[in-house]
Amino acid sequence: MTGVNPFISTSAVIPASVVVPLAAAALMAGFSRFLPRRARDLIAIAVALATTTLTLILMAASAGHPMIYWFSGWRPAGGMVIGIDYAVGPLGAGMASLAGVLASAALVYCWRYFDSARGRHHTLVLIFLAASVDFCLTGDLFNLFVAFELVAVTAFALTAYNAGHPAPLQGAINFAVTNSLGGMCVLMGVGFLYARTGTLNLAQIGQALAGHHADGLVVVAFALLAGGFLVKAAVVPFHFWLPDAYGSAPIPVCVLFAGVMSELGLFAVIRIWDTVFSGLAGGPGPRMRAVLLGLGILTALVGAVMALAQVHLKRMLAFVTMSHLGIYLIGAGLLTPLGLAGASLLVIGDGLAKSALFLGVGVVQHQRASVSETKLRGRGRGLAVTGVTITLGALVLADLPPYVSAAGHGLLVDAADRAGLPWLEIVIALCVVSSSAAVLRAAGRIWLGWGPGESPGPQAGTADDPGEESQDEPDTAGTNGGGQETREPPSRPERIPLTMVLPPLALLAIGLGLGLTSGVEEHAAAAAAAFSDRTAYAAAVLGGHGASVPAADRIAVPPTSAGRVLTDLGQVLAALLVAAIALDRRAARLRRALAAATGWLRRLHSGLVGDQVTWLAAGLALLAALGAAALH
Amino acid sequence: MSRRARLVFFAVAAAALAATLGAGLAGLPSFGRQVSAYARMLNEVAGPQRHVTDVVSAITFDYRGVDTLFEEFILLAAVAGISVLLRPLSDEIRELPEDKAPDRAIPPPSPAVWLLAVLLSSLLALIGLETVTHGVLTPGGGFQAGVILASGIYVIYLGTNYRTVERYQPDALLEASDGIGAAGYVVIGLLGLLAGDAFLTNVVGLGTTGNLIAGGTIALLNLTVGLEVAGGFVILASEFLDQTAVIRARRR
Amino acid sequence: MSVLAYGVVAWLFLIGLYGVVTSRNLVHMVVCVSVAQSATDVLLLEIGYRTGGHAPVFVSLPAHPGPAVDAVMQALALTDVVVGATVTALLLALVVQVHKRAGTLDPDALRATRE
Repeated sequence: MTGVNPFISTSAVIPASVVVPLAAAALMAGFSRFLPRRARDLIAIAVALATTTLTLILMAASAGHPMIYWFSGWRPAGGMVIGIDYAVGPLGAGMASLAGVLASAALVYCWRYFDSARGRHHTLVLIFLAASVDFCLTGDLFNLFVAFELVAVTAFALTAYNAGHPAPLQGAINFAVTNSLGGMCVLMGVGFLYARTGTLNLAQIGQALAGHHADGLVVVAFALLAGGFLVKAAVVPFHFWLPDAYGSAPIPVCVLFAGVMSELGLFAVIRIWDTVFSGLAGGPGPRMRAVLLGLGILTALVGAVMALAQVHLKRMLAFVTMSHLGIYLIGAGLLTPLGLAGASLLVIGDGLAKSALFLGVGVVQHQRASVSETKLRGRGRGLAVTGVTITLGALVLADLPPYVSAAGHGLLVDAADRAGLPWLEIVIALCVVSSSAAVLRAAGRIWLGWGPGESPGPQAGTADDPGEESQDEPDTAGTNGGGQETREPPSRPERIPLTMVLPPLALLAIGLGLGLTSGVEEHAAAAAAAFSDRTAYAAAVLGGHGASVPAADRIAVPPTSAGRVLTDLGQVLAALLVAAIALDRRAARLRRALAAATGWLRRLHSGLVGDQVTWLAAGLALLAALGAAALH
Repeated sequence: MSRRARLVFFAVAAAALAATLGAGLAGLPSFGRQVSAYARMLNEVAGPQRHVTDVVSAITFDYRGVDTLFEEFILLAAVAGISVLLRPLSDEIRELPEDKAPDRAIPPPSPAVWLLAVLLSSLLALIGLETVTHGVLTPGGGFQAGVILASGIYVIYLGTNYRTVERYQPDALLEASDGIGAAGYVVIGLLGLLAGDAFLTNVVGLGTTGNLIAGGTIALLNLTVGLEVAGGFVILASEFLDQTAVIRARRR
Repeated sequence: MSVLAYGVVAWLFLIGLYGVVTSRNLVHMVVCVSVAQSATDVLLLEIGYRTGGHAPVFVSLPAHPGPAVDAVMQALALTDVVVGATVTALLLALVVQVHKRAGTLDPDALRATRE
């Protein structure tokens, strides 16, 4: 190999972004019994903030060109990759920063009122964060799998945190079984690709497959890899575990899941497509676009319909998350840089908003000991700030300008227009309006007392009427032996602690700030362009002849027009209108008709793991068939 | 779905999935015919480059060392997670097992069983230590040895009783071993950064092939991983054991 | 020979899935998940196998040792075993708590998250 590859970076910031949280987690796991409670919380928050800072630095530093970091000092030799690399780009680093921000917010929320099981919760969250950063930055396929499994293992444990109630346990079992099987599919896909190409490095696999015709093995490898990651991303028909898990996990954990974890699955699918499969002979792009768009539309619609049908606040937000995931898949599935840019900004903006919503619901749960919309009717008095937070969050989800999600929505719609699919805007608007309306309806019922109260339908102990498991485990004193300071039993204090009220507002403020920053769309477009360029990526990693700076194509980003703003405001108003209609007494017949029409869909979500695994098997076979049609 | 419907649905899906997997497996190179160029190269150079005879160890801890870092933390996360899941909750207390008859103590374990336990655990400890230290020379290494060492401690429980185990397995020590093992991997990786190279570069002296102390950081990483895995598995077993033997519903 | 060798992978995975789908006992289901996991281990090791090859350990070799098998696949399989073991342990912990809290080990009887 002649010449020096100009993209190789030796910056210590790159390994530091995973080393810092990992080291802190290890020390917390080993020595938490010697640390007082405040110290544990403070250390966790500080480490999460430090990791966020490091990833933000990386996002800024890699904006112009990717930074390739070779671990253990093993650089490629003789055209062959020997070690494991991180390929740091602004899109990946941005995703990692989002994880850091949300983890910090969740840990601040945990201050004082959350039983951290002697610091083990913080250990798990920090490991989750480190694994997410690794997932977003890595350039090695097997390292991607290992990070995937690490995120999964921490998530399984965190879901079942309230181990004293059957719902979180069942949710965790459904989550763990389906996602483990998904992980196995990913590993089989990795094995197939290695058998064909002899390497585990994404760039090198892509180079080996480029220009070749996709035969059975390549198609199946794609189906297994995509299928496994789509299980994590909760795309139809791999999504059945999501409401069970998100609906019963503790609030700070839901923040991480809804904001980051599902999006990671999507990130991996697009990454693998862009670096490995996009170069196959026969130009599979347009056909794969059809497949991805189909899955995205289906997911968005199912999520929106199911969200409207829920009265359990956390399950409702779980379906809202799923619906928006479908929209991100639509954006990324357009397989153009502009679509990907729109999806990324939506991920950031909606991620912040969804997390704010979960934190707001957490305050309600803490103060009123319930997460049932019908039971909480009118009991929102005294929680005004939280009411504002939740309403604002729902409006942001409906693309309220000038939040950054509105910018993302604008880019996505523009990308759909350019791809010749303007009707996508209508589908997206439908789903966005429905999911926001569901949340606004809940807010109206809880804070304004509108709409019917306790309905005679749901039985006690089911998802519709959450009983005891609506309460996150309060801090128990002294049951683990010495070293625990006792605290008063959780009564209903008049003042809600600031550490619970401020984080959601801070997250929304960040979304507003980003939306007001000029040039955020251009940055997103440039990041997406760099992410999607397979040949430039391969050249950067492998250091081919004359590795030149990959030209970040100047994607013409349309300026925000008045028409765009009006359409977004229209969406917001539509969401408010639908919410009002949903609460109106006169619409009772309409509600009953809709409930009857969607009953079959709700019954499909049975919460039984056997059903979910059956859907998984069917989904994999379907994906293989679709992949064959697209890639051949 | 009813069980019947699920079974029918699954039968169809499984048939389709079988065809899919078959199509994929059919594209694999003939069984046993070829090994990738990458693997052939590593088999040739790992010995001279890293002064080890076990190439798998070299790959695990050197060429692809970062993977093992995260793998180690999967174990740490699982141990932390299981401790969270099986912790005594607000409606439970920990009660050491006692004989139900109040006027006698729990009978001591039979001397034959006790002797067997001592012999077996000593043997397992020895094998475990041998496996961890010889990881650079022969198949073995940190992960395998950690499990063997942990099982040596399970045998002590089998041969004695819960109280003995409780007395001689201080939780603090096990947790510290777990944490130090995991943090140790990171620290050894930082040595590379301090030397001006990349994280996890093998900057310690490589020694001579065939010696126990060879391979540089490979040997050291083997030891830290062994420490972490042993501590982790013992904590794991003790959590499950506590659930059966010790944690009871709080009586009002 | 190839058909039989690789067929085992598909068989293990599918029989594991079948076990999970039809299970009436959570512990049985966890074991079926680990059976499906072993399919991936077998696949990795088979991809790395070389007929007539020896383990990639270059000590005490015979005079004409022949080729060595793929050490990278062995390292990957090792990682997979660790992952599988930890997930199994976590699932079993969940099963222990479910048995205590829901009073049942039948996955189809768990209705706590039902719509």
